[in-house]
Amino acid sequence: MANDGEHQATSRPIIGTTDSRSEERIDPILAALDPDRERPEHVICSQSLTLSFGQKRILDSITIEFRRGSITALIGPTGCGKTTFLRTLNRMNDKIPGFRYSGDVTLEGESIWGPSQDLLDLRRRVGMLFQRPNPFPMSIRDNVVAGVKAHRIAKGKQLDVLAEERLRQVGLWEAVKDRLNDSPFRLSGGQQQLLCLARALAVGPEVLLLDEPTSALDPISTEYIEQLLRQLTPALTLIIVTHNLGQARRISHNTMFLYEGELVEHGPTEDVFERSREERTQVYVTGRMG
Amino acid sequence: MIRRTRYVASEAFPRSRRRRAADVAFRVGALAALAIVVAPVVWVMADVVARAIPHWRWSVLVTSTVGTGGGLENAILGTLVLLLGVLVLAGTVGILAGVYLAEFAGLGRSGKPRGRLLRAATEILSGVPSIALGLVGYLALVTGFHWGYSLLAALIVLSVMVIPYIARGTETALRQVPTSYREGAQALGMPAGYALRKVILRTAFPGIVTSLLIALAISGGETAPLLYTAGWFTGTPRASLLHQPIGYLTYPVWTFWDYPSNEAHYLAFDAALILLVIVLVLLVTARVIVNRTQRFAESRRP
Repeated sequence: MANDGEHQATSRPIIGTTDSRSEERIDPILAALDPDRERPEHVICSQSLTLSFGQKRILDSITIEFRRGSITALIGPTGCGKTTFLRTLNRMNDKIPGFRYSGDVTLEGESIWGPSQDLLDLRRRVGMLFQRPNPFPMSIRDNVVAGVKAHRIAKGKQLDVLAEERLRQVGLWEAVKDRLNDSPFRLSGGQQQLLCLARALAVGPEVLLLDEPTSALDPISTEYIEQLLRQLTPALTLIIVTHNLGQARRISHNTMFLYEGELVEHGPTEDVFERSREERTQVYVTGRMG
Repeated sequence: MIRRTRYVASEAFPRSRRRRAADVAFRVGALAALAIVVAPVVWVMADVVARAIPHWRWSVLVTSTVGTGGGLENAILGTLVLLLGVLVLAGTVGILAGVYLAEFAGLGRSGKPRGRLLRAATEILSGVPSIALGLVGYLALVTGFHWGYSLLAALIVLSVMVIPYIARGTETALRQVPTSYREGAQALGMPAGYALRKVILRTAFPGIVTSLLIALAISGGETAPLLYTAGWFTGTPRASLLHQPIGYLTYPVWTFWDYPSNEAHYLAFDAALILLVIVLVLLVTARVIVNRTQRFAESRRP
């Protein structure tokens, strides 16, 4: 945690730093308190991941690492494989007919397709938020604890405590505390998305995948959710697909640019936007290519 | 503001004589269709009520049939027992078949759709005339297995007849569950069976209940297969699955009308009226159940 705070402080505002990690100064006491100190620095690593559905190759040899506690924006034109890549990380693509992959993706150093990997637990650890809010047809309270019940993380009175805690965390508690037993579909779109976020957070994920989480929402909700996402780091690692380049710049530490299934460029967000090494990246981030 | 909009619209689509004629034709057509659907319903109900009420005796409900007279208690109870049996037997098999078709029979590893045999079988089965099912039931169960006219034989034949409706209804209802619910459940790491019970079946519930209701209404009103398998019995139903015929309401409707006595005719219409009432009660019950459980449905958004 400490070195992430440090990392942000040194890497983000200073323009011209090429390799941000080399600049870090680590406070030894804070480092010792960091609960993640024993764990690998990169939560998720994709190693030359190539993926195809039938004859159609969607992703081409993608190698990238996601640092613990960072927000990574995944940008690129429609159909470039952003969502496919995201959905691969929690194995939502496995059942699609014709799915084939080579290379590997590791979570905490262990392959997500490994024999000892429990799919359900993997999805608990790697949560997901969708483009359109998708609360379940059950009460607001039951929605928050739906995953918790399925994983038997808590039961009885604990569920109420947990529901309140998560609703408070996403700032929805005051709005819904008197109607926890109401239908979630009476909430506004933004509130529904927050409810889905609370539901995803309730099972205690380490990584959160966000597939254009604000594209169906109004600007105020969008801004609120962006702010909330920033607060979720460094406890969580976020990977967010977005078409909104402004959003990518506002909230992400790192950005990866996909083009036709190829990872064209990735690095600290500022570098990708201001000093793109590749022409395609530059063309895209300056808005000359949709 | 309104005037302006109207002006623009009429400029883009001038209200020609042809358009006006088409408009009238569609309205008349829609009304005619409505009348064609509603008229028989009203006619049947009014006729049955009008013929049954003048001679109505409440004792019909509590006395059993004696020859071609007496009451219908045996038939009412028999029909209710049959409906309950169909609900349990056909409901279980039909819903499970529908769940399989919708949830698990998707695409095999080779990409070919699985469950085609099951789907084709249900389609063929729903096309088999009920009298044919009755005859087969009679030959196979009543005489073949020596079960005699019996509750089990009747239940099996009725269930075979309505399982396709339940399976198809369940499958359709499950397919209409939004993908976003399934993905949401998947992304939370819910086990497939858990997601099915807690999220997906719950959403599909109204459709499943409707298909059960249709199945029950069909079995309650069925005569041909029961003549072959249930026989007819003037006593109240006995707790025996085999070698024991059972009464049912469609029997007097079908048979008593041919007897040359007023009492037999009255009983025929009484039975028809009671059947109508049973179906109406089923309808209302299903609505109430659906409304109770769909408090949180997305479609209920105000």
